[in-house]
Amino acid sequence: MAEALLFDAVRTPRGKGRAADGALAVLRPVDLLAGLLGDLRDRAGLQTAQVDDVVMGCVTQTGEQGACIARAAALQAGWDLAAPGVTLNRFCGSGLEAVNHAAAMVASGYFELVVAGGVEAMSRVPMGSDGGAMLDARSVLSVGGVPQGISADLIATLEGFGRAEVDAYAVESQRRAAAAIGRGLHKNSLLPVKDEAGLVVLDHDEHPRPGTTLDSLAKLKPAFAAMGRDFGLDKLVRMRYPTVERVEHVHHAGNSSGIVDGAAAVVVGSAAAGARHGWRPRARIRSVALAGAEPIIMLTGPIPAAQKALAKAGMSAADIDLYEVNEAFAVVPLMFSRALGVPLDKINVDGGAIAYGHPLGATGAMLLGTALDSLEERGLGTALVTLCIGGGMGIATIIERV
Amino acid sequence: MTDAAQDMGGAGDRQELWRDPGFGALFALPGAPLLWELELAGPGGVNRIGPAFFGGLTAALDQIDAAAAAGAGPRGLLLSSAHRDLCVGADLDFVAGLTDAAAVFAAAQALNAQLRRLETLGLPVVSLIDGAALGGGYELALATHRRVAVAGPKLQVGLPEVNLGVIPGGGGTQRLPRLIGLQGALEVIAQGQVLRGDKALSAGLIDALEPDRAAARAAALAYLRAPPAGAATQPWDRERARWPGPQPDSELFRNLVVGAAAMIYGKTWGAYAAPAAALAVVQEGARLPLVRGLEVEARAFARLVVSAQAKAMIGTLWHAKSAAEKHAGLPRLAPGEADGVQRIGVLGAGMMGAGLAFIAAKAGYDVILKDIDQAALDRGLAHVAAEAAALRRLSAAEQAAVVARVSGTLDDAALDGVDLVIEAVAERTRVKHAVLQAIEPRLAQNGLWASNTSALPITELAGPSVAPDRFLGLHFFSPVEKMPLVEVIRGASTSERSLARALSVCRRLGKTPILVNDGYGFYTTRVFAAYILEGLQLVAEGVDARLIEQAARAAGMVVPPLQVFDEVSLRLGRHVMEEAARYTGRSLPAAEALLVALTDGGPDRAPRAGRAEGAGFYTYADGRRQGIWPGLRLLAQTLGAGAPEPTLAAVSERLLLAQAVEAARAVDEGVVIRAQDADVGAILGLGFAPCTGGPLSLLDQDLAGAAAALCRLEAAHGPRFAPPAGLLRRAAAGQPYRDDLRR
Repeated sequence: MAEALLFDAVRTPRGKGRAADGALAVLRPVDLLAGLLGDLRDRAGLQTAQVDDVVMGCVTQTGEQGACIARAAALQAGWDLAAPGVTLNRFCGSGLEAVNHAAAMVASGYFELVVAGGVEAMSRVPMGSDGGAMLDARSVLSVGGVPQGISADLIATLEGFGRAEVDAYAVESQRRAAAAIGRGLHKNSLLPVKDEAGLVVLDHDEHPRPGTTLDSLAKLKPAFAAMGRDFGLDKLVRMRYPTVERVEHVHHAGNSSGIVDGAAAVVVGSAAAGARHGWRPRARIRSVALAGAEPIIMLTGPIPAAQKALAKAGMSAADIDLYEVNEAFAVVPLMFSRALGVPLDKINVDGGAIAYGHPLGATGAMLLGTALDSLEERGLGTALVTLCIGGGMGIATIIERV
Repeated sequence: MTDAAQDMGGAGDRQELWRDPGFGALFALPGAPLLWELELAGPGGVNRIGPAFFGGLTAALDQIDAAAAAGAGPRGLLLSSAHRDLCVGADLDFVAGLTDAAAVFAAAQALNAQLRRLETLGLPVVSLIDGAALGGGYELALATHRRVAVAGPKLQVGLPEVNLGVIPGGGGTQRLPRLIGLQGALEVIAQGQVLRGDKALSAGLIDALEPDRAAARAAALAYLRAPPAGAATQPWDRERARWPGPQPDSELFRNLVVGAAAMIYGKTWGAYAAPAAALAVVQEGARLPLVRGLEVEARAFARLVVSAQAKAMIGTLWHAKSAAEKHAGLPRLAPGEADGVQRIGVLGAGMMGAGLAFIAAKAGYDVILKDIDQAALDRGLAHVAAEAAALRRLSAAEQAAVVARVSGTLDDAALDGVDLVIEAVAERTRVKHAVLQAIEPRLAQNGLWASNTSALPITELAGPSVAPDRFLGLHFFSPVEKMPLVEVIRGASTSERSLARALSVCRRLGKTPILVNDGYGFYTTRVFAAYILEGLQLVAEGVDARLIEQAARAAGMVVPPLQVFDEVSLRLGRHVMEEAARYTGRSLPAAEALLVALTDGGPDRAPRAGRAEGAGFYTYADGRRQGIWPGLRLLAQTLGAGAPEPTLAAVSERLLLAQAVEAARAVDEGVVIRAQDADVGAILGLGFAPCTGGPLSLLDQDLAGAAAALCRLEAAHGPRFAPPAGLLRRAAAGQPYRDDLRR
């Protein structure tokens, strides 16, 4: 089997996902991705005619994000017409799914060079605005399903994570992100977003709140209590968790991932493709994995996905130097840490989506890039990136610097 | 005479054009423009939708089409009824007999095609709703362009189908949301609501409400004589039709559907297929043209109509319940004979006694409410006054008259000459015998004595009676103001005439009777005890109490066992257990030990005896139930529990079958006289899972499977699950308990 190598990873800054004041909201989603693809081509000297595919994750594929935004962005970026594009949706795992998909094609030998990543402009195409096969009466009442926030609160209820613990986690995420930004961790990977005139629209992550404290978070009201209790959605969890008399609502805007706009791209290729471009690989893919889990609790998938990826790589949890576990909600990395016995000081060492935000379709590729940056900065070797996914799935990728 | 005057004058001058005796008739109405009337006149004074109705409607529409083709068609059509009600809905005997989904689908689609013809005749059609337009009857009205209703107590409109395990099958799930919007329609369709009067008007189920039939007829005809533009077109057939409220597949629409799904789940816990299906077809049909939405509905309708759940629900909640309400097959007085009861003495002014005094006074009886304690009597009389004051339909004077019909007393002599005594004193044979001996001599000649005991054998209680033939059990359920059931118990000596007289009183009290023979706990209390004791036993085995409660809900039980145990009090439960052991010879030592530990408390544990004492299986704060007491499982474990945690389904099965096998035993022992009464009694009296059709219907759904499951449970959990001989015989012979039902 050929090796899938990572040659470069870039991302836009994450803008607040609000039309009212998010810096990136004035640009179309395709502009975010096309601008990034153009900048990537220019800095890497990418021969776009040699790109076998542009694989992009995007979750809310409707309106401005509908109809294969990957192809639209490659065309708009002026890439060679020979570079095709595909847009995929594995919910919050889409960005990493794109990377894994690219890696699989390269490792299989079918493809030589793939640009993978994702895009999500949540300010312009709101989460859930595409409806969906899981959002109807029959699915909810036969398969089961609740909004993610209730799933997160269900995990907290079952695992006994209280408000103080999830808030403390969120404060630490903000602290780590602020420290990383202060050290310039992202400066190589974060490419400013410019408008058509070439003016910079945003050159830094807009979402982190470095001054966050336990006291400031304590003022926030649980975000999912109203829909859970007042609209009765909490009761739906009893379909699979019959002994849950009450869901303890602990998550709020301050300890959940931020709603943001952003795009990411990762260059995945064979050694031969790298040689043709004169690139030095930064890392290789050691293993990838997907897992399915129970869809009402929904967010536990990273545990079996990581275990599967570790087993495929012949590694144990302790062999991994750094973990990126998407902070969809504070309880997800806390649960992951407990289940795999991984100390929190190896997880999300430079902050996560609670601070930076979670542009759904792009996040997986962004976490992969952050993991690379963090490994390189610390001179470490291996990282495992994992995300929880709607519908009860998990995805994981293990990378190793070369 | 002007047209308006003619219209006010009723139907006298109309000219009959066509008639189908199984359906109704078409009339030409005098005046211009030419209006026709389609008057439903089904057989037996009732309009029901079945094969004859379908044929009649088809032929009537053919008549209208033929007249139109000949250039002599009407300019408007009035849909009315020759009977008390417009249309009471589907012929449930017909529906209950349908077993082939393909045939049901075809029949529903055929009816849909005719209703579609009715709303696309090209002329305005107005339905005159007097009395009931329910289910299919209301769907018929929905296929007209305007609904003018007659105000009054008999007006009922709505779609109650889900209450019988099916969904509307004549377009109700498609037309109503397009007419009044998603939210309002879901309330009616998914909750099976029936609306009356102003509520029906404000919800949009009817368009106009007139004081009487003549006025409604006049209003309908006036509309037809001068119809506004577009009056012949349904809202959903207009160009660029929009739904009232949120549009199909909008974000708000989807959120409302998910919210409704959660609401349905929180009420039914997955035990009922129909409300979920009703919601699904509303959503799934919403994006389609009406006709394709009708197909979506018809497919779900067909699936549900042939389901065991619908058959069981129709069999009990419709057939058996209606029969019980009509006293079908019960002892009756001779025609014209009176029951001879005008004055009723109620002994004991507790919650039950006071409630009985109130409902009897409300029904017009003179009531003497007697207690031995002035404070208790005062509380009882205050209860009567409070209940009377809550009777909104009565004037203040009428309320006062109800109160005035109840007189309280501490003196036995005040009971002189009462025609019926209902004894509701403490559940002790000794106490009941004492009041019988003291008061029976004061009864009027031929007076009846009824004990409201919930368990003590009537024959034993009648021991000291001088007239045991006039002694019977009338077991009412608490709160008696709300609970519809009365279990009538025939003692060994009770005469048929006494039963007939007592049943006549029950009829006047508005209660639905079931008649059973005597025995400890009769029928309902045995089944009820089996339920709550099985819940207790599960706790004693170490099962998570929250799982037990949820398993009961998921099985369809109206109230979970430990919650209801807290309501009746654990002390009463302890007493019942002791009594039951005495009569049945069966005991549950671990359950009893747990009950003793809970009610007695311990050195570091306060007693937990139920809701009234503020602590039981549940914790309470300010009288509100909070959750299962967190120490419960540990307590059970310290008493020796430690079984592996069963699945939810296994707990549900135990809770249902523990009751069903008790019902089957009551059949074998001759306590249950008629199987349908056992099903009605368990559902109305105990909140036994209505989705099953009752304990015997539950067994009937798979007799052999139930017998095998009971043998398995007997081996695992003891003789209380042993299937009685009669059940094994029925299972072997394939002979259902409910032989009253067509299958």
